Amino acid sequence: MTMMGYQNKVLRVDLKEKKSSTEPLRMDFARKYIGSKGLAIRYMYEELKPGIDPLGEENKLFLTTGPLTGTPVPCSGKLSVAAKSPATGTMNDCSIGGHVGIKIKFAGYDMVIFEGMAEAPCYVVIEDDKVEFFDASDLWGLGSHEAEALLAEKYGREYSIMSIGPAGENLSNMACINSDYYRQAGRGGIGAVMGSKKMKAILIKGTGGVKVADIEKTTDRILEILHEDVLQEDNTYVYDEGTTAFLEACEDGGIVPFKNFSSANDPEWEKYNGSVLLQYREGKRGCGSCGLGCGNFLKIGNAVCEGPEYETIAAGGPNAGIKDPEHIVKFNEVCDNMGLDTISTGDTIAWAMEMTEKGIHDFGVRFGQSKEMLEMIEKIARKEGPGADLCHGVKYCSEKYGGTDFAMQVKGLEFPEYEPRGSWGMALSYAISDRGACHMRAYAPNEEVFAASIPPYTEKGKGKMVYELQVSNAVKFSLCLCDFWGTISGNYEGMAELMRLITNEDWTAEEMFDVGVRVINIGRAFNQREGFNRAHDTIPKRLVKEALGGEGPAAGQRIPQEAFDDMLDQYYEVMGWNRDGTIPEEIIQSLL
Amino acid sequence: MKVTITLRGTLKKYFGEDKERVYEVPEGCTCDEALRIAGINYREIKNFGFVSVNNKRVMIDDRLKEGDLLKAFSKVSGG
Repeated sequence: MTMMGYQNKVLRVDLKEKKSSTEPLRMDFARKYIGSKGLAIRYMYEELKPGIDPLGEENKLFLTTGPLTGTPVPCSGKLSVAAKSPATGTMNDCSIGGHVGIKIKFAGYDMVIFEGMAEAPCYVVIEDDKVEFFDASDLWGLGSHEAEALLAEKYGREYSIMSIGPAGENLSNMACINSDYYRQAGRGGIGAVMGSKKMKAILIKGTGGVKVADIEKTTDRILEILHEDVLQEDNTYVYDEGTTAFLEACEDGGIVPFKNFSSANDPEWEKYNGSVLLQYREGKRGCGSCGLGCGNFLKIGNAVCEGPEYETIAAGGPNAGIKDPEHIVKFNEVCDNMGLDTISTGDTIAWAMEMTEKGIHDFGVRFGQSKEMLEMIEKIARKEGPGADLCHGVKYCSEKYGGTDFAMQVKGLEFPEYEPRGSWGMALSYAISDRGACHMRAYAPNEEVFAASIPPYTEKGKGKMVYELQVSNAVKFSLCLCDFWGTISGNYEGMAELMRLITNEDWTAEEMFDVGVRVINIGRAFNQREGFNRAHDTIPKRLVKEALGGEGPAAGQRIPQEAFDDMLDQYYEVMGWNRDGTIPEEIIQSLL
Repeated sequence: MKVTITLRGTLKKYFGEDKERVYEVPEGCTCDEALRIAGINYREIKNFGFVSVNNKRVMIDDRLKEGDLLKAFSKVSGG
């Protein structure tokens, strides 16, 4: 069985033997999980044996496109990067923008799977059906930006490059993978998996295309969708402001963490508000096939980055008690070059600041210290001094030094920058997320903070709300669509139409919804096989015991344990899971 | 009583070049009522998000007092 839109081909790269092979894509998987996120998780479930070491040779790195990748469908330029996570021991799929997903598709593949471990540092060059392996000893130890610049100079700009920095080489739980300089597959130590394989970089170039049944009809309709749905006011804030717009909304919403989530709402937030940051904007950039172009290039003093996105602003700024725009941009730049996830790195340093201030353990960095924070990033990446511990993240460090009550993580993944006491649904969302605390599974603030009428400080109705948000994102990301096409969220008929146009098969809105539920279940099933259950769907004690500080609208809020337990029960019930958080066997069988 | 209304995101277009506007509104009127005096009916704006008063999120039917700053946001998504 083959399907239009797909290349119907997987490239498998063996790093130990330095050889590659191709095989047909499992179209039975594709029909049930579509592509990108869903397809990657289904392959992980099939190919990663339970209990393997995430940094051992049995783990694999899955780069997965979808049927829409490489077509003119707007906002379809994302790529799933997946592996078992060294930070959490769960499945982990990340989404990365730029152009690399499209290059993989044009090279003739739906997926590239990297297996085994090289004996010495290497990089891999893929050009259509040619796969070559090169020595990377000269690149090992370099920052991701420096390595990419050298490779781009050598090979030219037609290749898309994915690379790791020193953090990935040193197997940090917070290591990310960079692409096209400024885009990241950020979370769960995905860069450490690449580092464990001693693969510094991947270069990809493709000269092919993507086949659809009726190119004229498809293109005409896609252009209509672009104008009717994408380029609408609901979405165009993305071009005008990008996620810098979130800061003021989140401040007024009471959910910007301040000083390691000890309070929300910095009274001086206007010093680094989006309107201030955008005064330093020098340019814009979008991913391949993008209709919106969210990327902002900023330069303040000698600090340059594409971004900073909202998460990075909050993690590098207020959550560390720092209010300087130049510091925030520098924090972004240094994390990118060192190959570190800004969310986990910012949170881990913020936790270390609180530990130091409380006198529990002196990590040599305190709230408000910009210079010390920026130096700590490199120490983490290179495992030097306190960085040798902090590189493992807050779960590891708090179990070693204390401070677990205010270690803001779930399953070993640090919190994104939304304070759950101001958005109770986010507490549930973090707790049930299959890769640990993640805001991309179910973005609860959209419904209970940024909407006009849904109360945020209650457990009532939150199970179903999180379920519906999560299903929508699971489908959307399995189609490789970008989160910023906001109006396609929850529009299952719209997503089904895109699939009909590209694959020339009959897809219905109901089927799309079912795919979303299936994707959530297969991720949970992977984790269940690894021993995860309700006992792991938790939130830090700070959220339960401590009233939120500060002067914001959520000040004084805490989430009572019984309210949190009730949200979990609601969610398990709507998912059809058992009360202990396990999936009934009949559901597991239906996934395969 | 007088209140100041300011708009964010894609709602800014309703005030043209004005960063904010001051309106005379009835004592104890709600955010919704004040916005309608300013010509903004949130029920008719698909991408209307939420409101805050003096930089704190409130419900649309919460009441205003003299001198309040009422801010209305368009929806945002993603992160």
